[in-house]
Amino acid sequence: MEELETPQIITHIEHNINHSIFDTKWIPCSAKFVVIGSLPKGTGTLEVFEITSGEIRKIKEIERPNSFKCGTFGASSDVERRLATGDFKGTLEIWDLEKSCQVYITKEHTDIINSIDGLGGNIVNCGAPEIVTGSRDGTVKVWDPRQRGKPVANMQPMKGETKRDCWAVTFGNSFNDAERIVVAGYDNGDLKMFDLRTMSLRWECNLKNGVCSTEFDRKDIPMNKLVATTLEGKFHVFDVRTQNPTKGFAQVLDNSSKSGTIWVARHVPQNRDIFLTCAGNGQVSLWKYEYPEHRYQVDHQGVSSGVPGKLRRLQRMVISTQPINALDWNRDHLGLAVATAYDQYVRILVTTKLNLQ
Amino acid sequence: MDKAFEIQKQVRDNAKALQTYMTDLQNWEAEMKRKEAALNGEFEQDLPPVRSKVKKERPVVVKKKPEKKIKGSDYSSWDKYDVDKACEEVDMQDIGPSSLDSKKSQLAKLEKLREEAQYEKERGNTFVKQEKWDDAISCYNRAIELVRDDAIYYANRGLCFLKKDSLHLAESDCSEAIRLDPSYVKAYQRRASARERLGSLRAASRDLAEVLRLEPHNHAARKQLDAIKARMGTKGAKSKSSPSSTPTVESKPLTKPTQPKIVELPPEPKVSADDEWRNGAGENIMVIKPVKKPPHLRSKRPLKSIPIQEIQLGKTTPEKPPTRLKIIEIDDQTHGDSNNNDSNKIDDTPKNMKGEGDVASPESVKLVTDGAVKEKDVKTLVPPTNSVQFMSEWKYLKGQWEARCEYLSIIEPSKIPSIFANALESDVLSDVVRILHDNSDRFAGRVAAYLTQLSNVKRFSAIAMFLSPNDKQMLNKLLDHCKVAENTSEDAIADLKNKYEL
Repeated sequence: MEELETPQIITHIEHNINHSIFDTKWIPCSAKFVVIGSLPKGTGTLEVFEITSGEIRKIKEIERPNSFKCGTFGASSDVERRLATGDFKGTLEIWDLEKSCQVYITKEHTDIINSIDGLGGNIVNCGAPEIVTGSRDGTVKVWDPRQRGKPVANMQPMKGETKRDCWAVTFGNSFNDAERIVVAGYDNGDLKMFDLRTMSLRWECNLKNGVCSTEFDRKDIPMNKLVATTLEGKFHVFDVRTQNPTKGFAQVLDNSSKSGTIWVARHVPQNRDIFLTCAGNGQVSLWKYEYPEHRYQVDHQGVSSGVPGKLRRLQRMVISTQPINALDWNRDHLGLAVATAYDQYVRILVTTKLNLQ
Repeated sequence: MDKAFEIQKQVRDNAKALQTYMTDLQNWEAEMKRKEAALNGEFEQDLPPVRSKVKKERPVVVKKKPEKKIKGSDYSSWDKYDVDKACEEVDMQDIGPSSLDSKKSQLAKLEKLREEAQYEKERGNTFVKQEKWDDAISCYNRAIELVRDDAIYYANRGLCFLKKDSLHLAESDCSEAIRLDPSYVKAYQRRASARERLGSLRAASRDLAEVLRLEPHNHAARKQLDAIKARMGTKGAKSKSSPSSTPTVESKPLTKPTQPKIVELPPEPKVSADDEWRNGAGENIMVIKPVKKPPHLRSKRPLKSIPIQEIQLGKTTPEKPPTRLKIIEIDDQTHGDSNNNDSNKIDDTPKNMKGEGDVASPESVKLVTDGAVKEKDVKTLVPPTNSVQFMSEWKYLKGQWEARCEYLSIIEPSKIPSIFANALESDVLSDVVRILHDNSDRFAGRVAAYLTQLSNVKRFSAIAMFLSPNDKQMLNKLLDHCKVAENTSEDAIADLKNKYEL
């Protein structure tokens, strides 16, 4: 019976693109997605595709002098649907894809923006629209599209500390207007959790390998779980409900798969306990986090600490010959995802039976 | 067996599941497209404030509150208190934030765009202050993209184009600004500047007139308008404006005391003999007076050459018609059209020209005076000391071979190299050769000397290359003449032949 419920991962559509692609995002409330990349001559492109009965059709293309690295719709409402992008030179831009025009531009980072995340646009009552960017210049900046030019928060190493390359940033814990947390992962394995309400560093640890990607299972609830993927095929799942003053958060480490760097992990929007990891050998793995019987325990001093759960792999599938560097689940349709890989293919993935899990 | 069935069933189930999924997906695609098309801009969110502004905004509100409260006993303050204005302020406070909430959607969205455009404009303005025109233009471009119907953005961009000398773009931007806001003074002024520099003075003056209509006390505009009118005036005066020119001259006697209209001058009681002569008194001649005008007011027509002949004081030349002409001063204060200079002149002159129909216009002057220069006058010629003197005289004598011959003959051959230095031209050389050839009898005994000295001029070999076959033929004859008549040595002849490349 168990086997009958195993989800399948199928490559629905494959589409070759003749240049490097770095990120892809579904355009909210549509069957369209945007692919972010760079042409061989060093210019950046934003391409909008639409899926129509088993085919991918290019609708629009925007070219800019600098290669784009990453993008997000997170800080924009579903009506405006503005894409925020970070590029190789450190420029943050916001695009109105309907009109193909740029509505916001600022260049405060001095080097490539590796990672971007947005929040506040799509879900009602979860705080201000904000964008967080992590850059090679060692800083993590938080932006509000309503404020021009200057970030609303800036997290950078103290003077004299070495600047680490920030590879991954994500928002979370935004369950009301005040609370919000930014998690940033660095190339030396540091994982830092900044509290934007108190403007302080809430927690940090070192994962020993560079952090490639990090994500909360949900951004708009009191923070529950955090996944951080690293080089050398490892990823960590933290139960971030219960923070112990000395031990921090409980975590599960998976290093079973010898699949090279895990580039990205993304939670299924419709089911927060299932997530997909994309590895350097072109393999995607679907995981389910199984909670323990009690999520926390109280020791004899009355201090509570988290209890880690277990990870179960539901399915795995090699879909590419090269590393898969970005993946995005569709918010409106269960099991539909788009992924980009270094083999210059963009793929529409279909995962069945997710509703049975 | 069971196992095999199970596997088969699973495969079938999977295929089925996938099939249903795919149909679902297709339906979903269609539905999404429909939903997306239905998405209109009706959307407004209540958003919490920008993080960094939360703290900043509070004190501003606090500051506003303690507005000086006027005491009940302070009657003088109450007298000055503008009740209407206060009421308006209170009303505006009520409308301000609440209206945005109530009328969400379209209006608020427009408002947002305007705010953004305003921000861009301010950025542009700071760039303008730093004189970074290109950056400013891109800011205004974005502002215009956001809000298409604000005259200020166009006018400001126009200014930038003006500064960048993109005059046509500047003009079209200003025109757009004026179209949007017909009472926008700055736009008119900028368009006037653009048009002035483009050369369309009339259009520029119209714009400035509009400025003055809107702002009668705008000094800058008045100045500019005057300047333009002055410019237009010099290009010629309309016939209707010429009568008004006389009073303007009279009203400004100090500026040009030296050049009055002769006809209008009353005969001065004490005139020295010199002055009398200068004015041509008692002689049947006309006096050409110099006209002083600033360069930009001068006529753009090519100058006519008027030969001037020196006549000693008191000496009359009875046989010849008078060569002195009078040029009537054209009033440079007149306004109006730019190209009927001559007609204007003629309008003014008839009284002076009476009885001298043949000198009705400067064109005829030349015809008359050309004949005046005759051989005899050449006696006043002086040998030149440098090429400039020679060339001016030479050109003056153009077409008068006799005179040229005379002129050449007074030049000492040995001085030729020092006169010409390195400025001998090939056409002058061929003229000289021709004169020597035609008048070899007049230069008897000196032809060889001339030829030798000419060949000693610097860079002569280069000039000799331009001699025409005709010239060479004449030279050959000249050399033959030298050999026969002047007993020039064979060596010298050979040397000359070599130098003249014969």
